[in-house]
Amino acid sequence: MHNFNLALAFSEQARQHPERLALAVAGREVSYGELARQVSLLAGFLKSRKRSGRIGVLGTRSLDAYVGILAACWSGCTYVPLNLKWPAQRLIALMALLELDALVVDETGAALLTAEILAAAPRDIVVPQSLALAPERPGQAISIRSGLTSDPMLAPAQLAPDQVGYVIFTSGTTGLPKGVMISAGSLAHYLDQTRPWTDYRPEDRLCETCDVTFDLSVHNLFLCLKAGASLHVMSELEMLAPARFIRAHAVTVWMSVPTVIGLIRKTGALKPGLFPSLRLSIFCGEPLPVQAAQAWLAATPNGVLENIYGPTEATVICMRQRLTDPPVVTQGRDILAIGRPYVTMEIALLDSSQQPVAPGIAGEIALCGPQVGIGYFGQPELTADRFREINGKRWYLTGDIGYRDQAGVYHHLGRADNQVKVKGNRIELEEVDAHLRRAAGVELIATVAWPTRHGSAEGLVSFVAGSTRTPEQIREAMAASLPRSMIPRAIHMLDSLPQNVNGKIDRRALIALLEEQATGHSPGGSDHLEAATSGGRAL
Amino acid sequence: MTAEVTKLRQTVLAMLVERGFEGPIAPDASLFFSGKLDSLSATEIMIIIERDFGVDLSDPDFDITQLDTLAQIEAVASKGQAQNQPAPA
Repeated sequence: MHNFNLALAFSEQARQHPERLALAVAGREVSYGELARQVSLLAGFLKSRKRSGRIGVLGTRSLDAYVGILAACWSGCTYVPLNLKWPAQRLIALMALLELDALVVDETGAALLTAEILAAAPRDIVVPQSLALAPERPGQAISIRSGLTSDPMLAPAQLAPDQVGYVIFTSGTTGLPKGVMISAGSLAHYLDQTRPWTDYRPEDRLCETCDVTFDLSVHNLFLCLKAGASLHVMSELEMLAPARFIRAHAVTVWMSVPTVIGLIRKTGALKPGLFPSLRLSIFCGEPLPVQAAQAWLAATPNGVLENIYGPTEATVICMRQRLTDPPVVTQGRDILAIGRPYVTMEIALLDSSQQPVAPGIAGEIALCGPQVGIGYFGQPELTADRFREINGKRWYLTGDIGYRDQAGVYHHLGRADNQVKVKGNRIELEEVDAHLRRAAGVELIATVAWPTRHGSAEGLVSFVAGSTRTPEQIREAMAASLPRSMIPRAIHMLDSLPQNVNGKIDRRALIALLEEQATGHSPGGSDHLEAATSGGRAL
Repeated sequence: MTAEVTKLRQTVLAMLVERGFEGPIAPDASLFFSGKLDSLSATEIMIIIERDFGVDLSDPDFDITQLDTLAQIEAVASKGQAQNQPAPA
């Protein structure tokens, strides 16, 4: 019987090429052989503790986090990355729900283990080094990873395709985040479809820009180790100066959210030919402005650029669009299309009663096929709401609005959540953003509907970072192409925009900023909001 | 140490307190790689170094890992200040 263990390809690479570099992380370089040695040691321990079959990993961008993930897989368990930025109460609530067999932490994760969190943590905790930590309840044991005395597990456990490979949490708009369960079989389908166009090879040096709690890290880790390539993990600090990292590490493959392009462009550093080592650049997770994509491609004279689309619920991504000349642009948005689906996946565009819309009309993007996930961990009602059986097939409803053009290419118009009503007019924030981006001449922008009363907003407020234009100039330029209801009432010029845990621009944090200002609790930093215009004068 | 550098140090220490690190911090202790401070704090520190000390951090070959400790941050700021005399107000 075929073994679907997520760590199987890695174990084969480690056996055949133990000397090759696997992972460069936090200033350390670890070979395939050394990584496999550490993984099989921890896997032996985890196997001996297996009950629920779920292992938590509280850490990111560290050797301990990667060893924890791979050891969970190797031992035949499900890995569950937990976010270091979650508040304590959320961590406690999720650990209670998950019934983890063990928690593997890195140094940063260990610093979070207060008595309160330890009390909710599983019986076994594996830490990187000796710490001044005491078990919080009888039977709880804190073990040092390098000092584990159980027998190493020599080969990855047998795993069936329907077993859960990982649970990755997506940020819900309310309440607890949703834990998406992806089976080993779905991931195998994803890797099969993704390998031909990425074509990673042993000489490739992949860059990891994401935390392990973001599922782009699934793509990087498992495709990299399957190919025998090396993964170069950026620290949070290095994320602020990505250009140097790419050059210093001679990175050949880059994958990130598009916001990173805006960050480099803002400094004026994204010059043509800057990244000769890059052969493939992949962007995902947010609308990709065509100008930003073209500037990035010009900086990678030996590379190609792909825009990819997909929700965590359907295993990383399932559509892609290469940046061509001329580019395939989404009309009126100046963003790159999301392209065509993987041949194994079926796409539908549905109306609000889950019926297909007429050709050329926008609808909610729904996905069907072997990459569609099992559902949300411990949340059957939420699972039933988003994973639906329609005409005998199981579909995942993405909450994204899109349309298919005459050539069969798909275009993303925005999140259904970002369709807001402003004084009764229905507005897509992404559409306002497209005009704002053009008017401000920069990519780091965002618009929110605020303040909101009774489900309808009183107006739009925009934020811009790094533009040389004044708010008045920007509003005037927007007024030339947009109806009055879509012009922001105020434009705040900031030094930088808040990003969420996955590096995307965080609209909720921007709303919080406005709320704080409105209630007189000015935020601690130096960036006091200075609204530059008042109601409609420039119009 | 100039008044500006002292102020920068106070800002960094205040960030640490805000994140729950009350104790003394060694000048060569890692702030970011150790997870004590996050990228938002780093951005704020970089803005101060650029604005108040006249250092251009946008060079694509600038090594940001030089900003991981208090001693490193102060060294980069002081060097920028020395090159940009008189210090900006």
